[in-house]
Amino acid sequence: MRRLLAVALFVLVLAPGRASGDEAEEARLRVRLKPELAASVIEVVRSTAAQGLPTAPLVGRALEGASRQADDAAILDAVERYAAGLVGARRALGATARAAELDAGAGALMAGVPEDSLTSLKRARPSGSLVIPLIVLSDFVARGVPVGSASNTVLSATRAGAADPALLRMRERIHDRILRGEAPAGASREELRALLLKTHPSNERGGREPSEERRP
Amino acid sequence: MNRDDRWDDEVRDAYRGAIEGEEQARERALMRLRREPTPRRGSTSAWWRDPDALRIRPWAAAASLLAVLAIGAWGGAWWMASRGGHAGRPAIATLPSDATAVTFVFEAPGASRVSLVGDFNGWDPKATPLAHASTGDAWTVRVALERGLHAYAFVIDGRDWAPDPSAPLAPVATFGRRNSLVVVGEDAAL
Repeated sequence: MRRLLAVALFVLVLAPGRASGDEAEEARLRVRLKPELAASVIEVVRSTAAQGLPTAPLVGRALEGASRQADDAAILDAVERYAAGLVGARRALGATARAAELDAGAGALMAGVPEDSLTSLKRARPSGSLVIPLIVLSDFVARGVPVGSASNTVLSATRAGAADPALLRMRERIHDRILRGEAPAGASREELRALLLKTHPSNERGGREPSEERRP
Repeated sequence: MNRDDRWDDEVRDAYRGAIEGEEQARERALMRLRREPTPRRGSTSAWWRDPDALRIRPWAAAASLLAVLAIGAWGGAWWMASRGGHAGRPAIATLPSDATAVTFVFEAPGASRVSLVGDFNGWDPKATPLAHASTGDAWTVRVALERGLHAYAFVIDGRDWAPDPSAPLAPVATFGRRNSLVVVGEDAAL
C-alpha cells in the first residue's frame, strides 16, 4: 500500500511538472511565432518529446530564428534538422545519454561529424559525461579543423584518458594557434601531440598520435 | 476480635474519616479551576493548538498532499500559459535551486548598449542587458543558469549579433552566424 502510494505521489508530482513545461514551451512558441509556423514547430516538438528526446534545443532554435528575424521556412528547417540530429545523437550515444549530451551530439552531427565518431567517443568514455568532448569537437569543426582531424584529435585525447580540463586547455591552445595564423589541422595535430606526451610521456620517442586502426 | 483485626479496623476508619482541612483544600482547587479560561472547542481561534484536532489518518494526509500538489501544478501551468510564456525575465527569477551563477563579459568598443541572448532567456534581446564597466570597453552581466548546455550570443546596439570570442563555438551557423556555448554543471564548466 505504501509503495503504491509512493508511486502515485511520484507520478502526480512529475507528470504535471512535465506537462506544465510543455505547455510553457508551446505558449512561448505561440507568442513569438506566426500561428502557422508555431503549429508546425509544435508538431515537431511534440513528436520529439514523444520519442523521449529533449525539446528545449528545438524551442531554442525556433526562438533564436524569430529573434534573428529569419523567415519561417528557415526556422522550421532549423528545428527539423535539429530534431533529426537529436535522433541521430541518441542512436550514436545510446539510450542512456543525457539531454546535454544529446544536444551537443546533435550539433556535432549537424556539423558533419559521423555517427561512428560519436559512438567511438562513447566507447572511449563509457561512464563519464561526453558533453565537454563533444563541445570541444564541435568547436574545432567550427574553427575550420577538418571533421576527420577534429574527430581524431578529440577521440585520441579521450582514449588517452584526458580529463575535461585538459580537453578545454587543448581547445584554447588550438584556438590561439589558429588566431596566430596556423592552419587549423596542423594546430590540432600539434596540440594533440603535446597533450598525449603529457598524458603518456613514453609516447615521446615515437612522437606520433595513435591511429584509429590501432585502437580497440 | 484479635489484635490484627482491630488494627485493620482502625486503619479503615482512619481512611474513611474526614481529614483536617480537606474541605478548604477542595474549595481552593475549585476556585482555581473557575479562574482558568474555559477551552472553546468550537472556536476557530484555538483548534490549531489542540494536538488532537490535527490527528488524521496517513492515507488522508497523503491524499490531501496529492490534491494540493495537483492543484498547484495545474495553477502553475495556467499561470505560465496566461503570461504568454515570455521567456526573458522569469527565466532567471524562477530557476530551480541547482542553478549556477555565470558571469558573461564582452568587449564592445563604441557600443551604446549590449545584451545577452540565449536558450535561457528565449533569445529576447531586451531580456538581459549587460552593464558597462566604469572604465574600458567591457560589458558584464551575471546570470543564473540551469544545469546543461546553453547556446548564447551578444547583441550590440540592438542589431549586431556576435559570439563570445572566449567561448567554444556552436558547430553550425543555423541562422547565418554562429552562437557560443556554455556548459553548466559538468565536470568542468566552460
